[in-house]
Amino acid sequence: MLIKLAWRNLWRQKRRTLLTAFALALALFLSLFMRSMQEGSYEHNIDNSARFSTGLIQLQSPEYATTESIEDLLPGDDDFIAPAKALPHISYALPRIESFLLASSEERSKGVLVYGVRPQLESDYSGIEDKLVAGRYLTPGAQQVLLGQGLAEYLKLGVGDELVLYGQGYHGQTAAGVYPIAGILHFPLAQLDNQLVYMPLSAAQGLFSTGKQVTAWVLHSDNLDEVAPLTERLSALYGDRVKVRDWQSLAPEMAQQIALDRAGGLFMICLLYLIVGFALFATILMMTLERRREFGVMLATGMARLTLLRLVMFESLLIAALGTALGLGVSGVVIGYFYYHPISLTGETARMMLEMGWEPVMPMKVSLALVRNQVIIILSLMALCLIYPLWRTQHLVVVAALKGGDDDQG
Amino acid sequence: MTIAIQALTKIYNPESDFPVAAVKSLDLTIAQGEFVAIMGPSGSGKTTLLNMIGGIDSPSSGAVFIDGEDITHLSEQALIAFRRDHVGFIFQDYSLLPVLTALENVEFVMQLQGHSEAECRQRAMALLTQVGLAGQQDKIPAKLSGGQQQRVAVARALAPRPRFVMADEPTANLDAKSTAELLDIMQSLNEQEGTTFIFSTHDPRVIARAKRVIVFEDGCLVEDRRQ
Repeated sequence: MLIKLAWRNLWRQKRRTLLTAFALALALFLSLFMRSMQEGSYEHNIDNSARFSTGLIQLQSPEYATTESIEDLLPGDDDFIAPAKALPHISYALPRIESFLLASSEERSKGVLVYGVRPQLESDYSGIEDKLVAGRYLTPGAQQVLLGQGLAEYLKLGVGDELVLYGQGYHGQTAAGVYPIAGILHFPLAQLDNQLVYMPLSAAQGLFSTGKQVTAWVLHSDNLDEVAPLTERLSALYGDRVKVRDWQSLAPEMAQQIALDRAGGLFMICLLYLIVGFALFATILMMTLERRREFGVMLATGMARLTLLRLVMFESLLIAALGTALGLGVSGVVIGYFYYHPISLTGETARMMLEMGWEPVMPMKVSLALVRNQVIIILSLMALCLIYPLWRTQHLVVVAALKGGDDDQG
Repeated sequence: MTIAIQALTKIYNPESDFPVAAVKSLDLTIAQGEFVAIMGPSGSGKTTLLNMIGGIDSPSSGAVFIDGEDITHLSEQALIAFRRDHVGFIFQDYSLLPVLTALENVEFVMQLQGHSEAECRQRAMALLTQVGLAGQQDKIPAKLSGGQQQRVAVARALAPRPRFVMADEPTANLDAKSTAELLDIMQSLNEQEGTTFIFSTHDPRVIARAKRVIVFEDGCLVEDRRQ
């Protein structure tokens, strides 16, 4: 009876109910759309950025995070990484050697960052092979290098020339070698273009005298939401002998930028909900104040005050449910469309992303957690809006309400 | 069921410079099955007296005993249960729930009492038939005339099988024909089922039908006569 009564009461002021429900639906749709686009873009950027450089998770020697020294290494064999690869959601595990050396040609020298990688695995993961602008890609086990275009130009070297690498290897040994240049890579970021040198992992291990060891294992998850639980599981799995770092720790600037951007978006959503909250509050308050006499009759004829409060709550809940259902329906269709047909970027941004090897799109994130959060916000908003009307109803004086007068018991 | 009122007083704004005594030290007894009209000019305290007997207003002093139990000392919860189970209310403006049909309005209090759906339906239909509204049960109040709405209100008041029915100016908004029909119905229910009816009114048509007339002025009982 109570739900039937609440439902019918909603339609006494059809226009007001629909307007409130539409306002809620619009707020839900806008916030969901905004959040889905935000989170989709973040994931897209994080994934692309991780593939290009740090990976989503890295296993490092506990000291490497602070020293970044070739002295602090991890085993590079498959037995070491097998437990990590066995975890669900781990889609890639790449061994890497990463260290700084001095690169020289006949005329010039420059400090460079050397990556020792498994050529095929690295290409599958980061698409580095697509950045070749001259020569050919690395051959596994070969003694050869790939250079950034800016670096090659600085050193005045080309494909087929030899690059001299010199510096410090493992346990203070000298790391020195001469390597033919197999190809030239182009990176849109000058910082990378001017200092990156890629070589097969075995060649790098020989150069640095690390044996089968590596500076890091780069791991990738097929789901960004799984990174945090995976980091915890890997920490538990490897214990103190390995430092497990997620992408936030590996790329703190990016993490901060995303956090700032996310906070800005949330602020906008809060403003949106504040406006809608006032509309909802006004509706619920009107729904209770204009029916004081009716409430007085209900209480006089024996309805318990708690039952009356439940009636008011049901009515508000039904409006919220109506708005939520409407908002979710519209959001489902629109977000679903853009999930399968992401918004394409154009102009300079698109060109830069293409150069980075990234798809120039703004994908949507479809996530139950996003929907759940927005629904929780709406229900909380409704609960907040209900406080004062419920208080008024709770303090309704039957005799005064029957007279249609002031209902405050004081 | 006997209603015994002892030294009942109601003073509005007692702390102010102008306290208003709506009911002054009233003693009154109403027996089971009476058909009582409380008459008096506007502001004489009739409605206040009905509200205190019906347990929706509390006196400043004095007591209202229903079958020996002083309802002025009941908790709010107990008062709600008392009103639900023992008092039927009929209001001047009918006060039906506008979104419920005539049948649902009559069923409403019975459902609050916890009766089964079938039981509520059966009794509500019987009462609507008794007040001459068979066939109108599915209409919402807005689709009924004032007289019909007041009949629904009578059926609603009687639905929970109350010990007495309080009617505050029940005929004030009705035409002569509807008033006569409504009074016929209430009188017949009073005679057949022994339900006590207490009206506040200044309608001479109601006063003429009442078996007992209590005249009220300035919060005091000035006349109590049986007809």
